Amino acid sequence: MASRTADTVIVGGGIIGAATGYYLAKSGHKVVLLERSFPCSGATGRCIGGIRAQFTHDLSIRVMIESIRLFSELNDELGETVHWHQGGYLFLAFDEPRKQAFLEAIKVQRNYGLDVEFISSAECGQIVPGLNREGLLGGAYCPTDGQADPFHVTYGYLAGIKRLGGEVRVDTEVTGINTRDSKVVSVLTSKGDEFFCPNVLNAAGAWSDEICRMAGIEVPIAPDRHESLVTEAVERLFDPMLVDYRSDGCYFVQHIGTGHFVGCYTPVPLVPGRNMDATDEFITEMPRRMVRLVPKLGQVKVLRQWAGSYCMTPDGSPICGRTPVEGLYISSGMSGHGFMFGPALGKLMAELIACGKPSIPLDQFAPDREFGKAEAMK
Amino acid sequence: MGGKTRRTARKRTAKKVTVVCRCEEVTEDEIRRAIREGHQTLEQIKRKLRTGMGHCQGRGCLRIIAQMVEEETGFPASEQKLPTSRPPLKPLPLDLLARYDGE
Ligand SMILES: Cc1cc2nc3c(=O)[nH]c(=O)nc-3n(C[C@H](O)[C@H](O)[C@H](O)COP(=O)(O)OP(=O)(O)OC[C@H]3O[C@@H](n4cnc5c(N)ncnc54)[C@H](O)[C@@H]3O)c2cc1C
Repeated sequence: MASRTADTVIVGGGIIGAATGYYLAKSGHKVVLLERSFPCSGATGRCIGGIRAQFTHDLSIRVMIESIRLFSELNDELGETVHWHQGGYLFLAFDEPRKQAFLEAIKVQRNYGLDVEFISSAECGQIVPGLNREGLLGGAYCPTDGQADPFHVTYGYLAGIKRLGGEVRVDTEVTGINTRDSKVVSVLTSKGDEFFCPNVLNAAGAWSDEICRMAGIEVPIAPDRHESLVTEAVERLFDPMLVDYRSDGCYFVQHIGTGHFVGCYTPVPLVPGRNMDATDEFITEMPRRMVRLVPKLGQVKVLRQWAGSYCMTPDGSPICGRTPVEGLYISSGMSGHGFMFGPALGKLMAELIACGKPSIPLDQFAPDREFGKAEAMK
Repeated sequence: MGGKTRRTARKRTAKKVTVVCRCEEVTEDEIRRAIREGHQTLEQIKRKLRTGMGHCQGRGCLRIIAQMVEEETGFPASEQKLPTSRPPLKPLPLDLLARYDGE
């Protein structure tokens, strides 16, 4: 058994582990990132790349404004083309209560300086040519929201960790965390190594409860299955991510770099667990919902489908911060938004771990908070 | 004369650039570079370069790439795991799938 040292060991090679590791390495920490399988093998490689600041929770809005700033500088920061494109997000309102909820959210979002407004049904039709506007009252539209490529972003951060002297180990599962007097001592791996370190970041997504349990603590996360599909590449049809919150709605976007449409829906009722099987139900239901919204997509061919886990928390906001075990940090429970939160939460958690104080306080995401009102723009 | 120069130039590029995944236009050079950077399984290469993610879903290129992995790493092509193939096996239009009622 080889024993080694690090300032921070990161568990998980998804966007959260990669981004936090990068900003830690940049601040001078010796980082070792351990990934059980390969980078992006978890939720990150299954996500559809949407990025938005349209939330209802104050802290989510603030963190996402910072994340969007970081995304817009990421090509230069990482020396990697991440396909960041500010195509906006358009949330559609088909009934009065939804419209009122959007108007309320917009008030809060505008307080933080977000360029968001409620636009008419006709304006929605201008932004999304071919949109079926039957019953449409209008939509919440924020042109500074956008999209990026999850693989390029994550690989860019991981390459940065290595460039800055850190280590990234794939096919390496964390099998135990040793503590003494409720303080982190070391991390054990499936390869038989032991890493002695004062800090551990649990960035294991839908598996982060297992990592916490290794140190004797519980975290209230609940994975559920989300399916997705991708179509062939076609000429550019429209820019924004379309979100239809009706119980039989869906959300999809055209990837700007490639021309493919990707999309998903949230099943009612939810499908709890970490099952990642793709279903026949989804591959027929999703096309129905897409074609209902934009009928002219009918001739576009579907290439592939897959599934992944959302990692939900009781209030639909992330769980980020210190745990009762000194030196053990967690950044998880991304509730379907971990890719977009990744850059900013990575930077803020790195500040917390390296100097004790993030530049935007994360108390409202703390693991020991009271889980109250749920995020309405899930 | 101009024509001749152009043809020679084209010939030279054609020789250097071998497209392995034709649907996503990924070249042999790009794949070998990715393998050397540590993307050493078909699944990892697919996620880095989109090989096998286009129209033919890898029917044209996966075996060739497996061979390249064997050449670069020594890991036999026959023992390599192919990326998960996800239905529909053949690209179908949204309209058609939308009308499918379980039969
Ligand atoms: C269909 C779908 C669409 C989505 N769309 C979007 C979107 O448009 N925008 C957005 O922002 N988010 C989206 N998401 C959510 C997003 O994908 C996740 O929130 C995000 O990827 C979470 O990142 P993560 O790093 O926390 O987790 P993951 O990417 O799951 O990474 C965790 C990693 O930890 C590793 N691991 C687990 N246990 C161990 C262990 N014991 N030792 C070592 N490693 C371990 C896993 O192998 C995994 O790679 C979507 C998700 C799905 C499923």
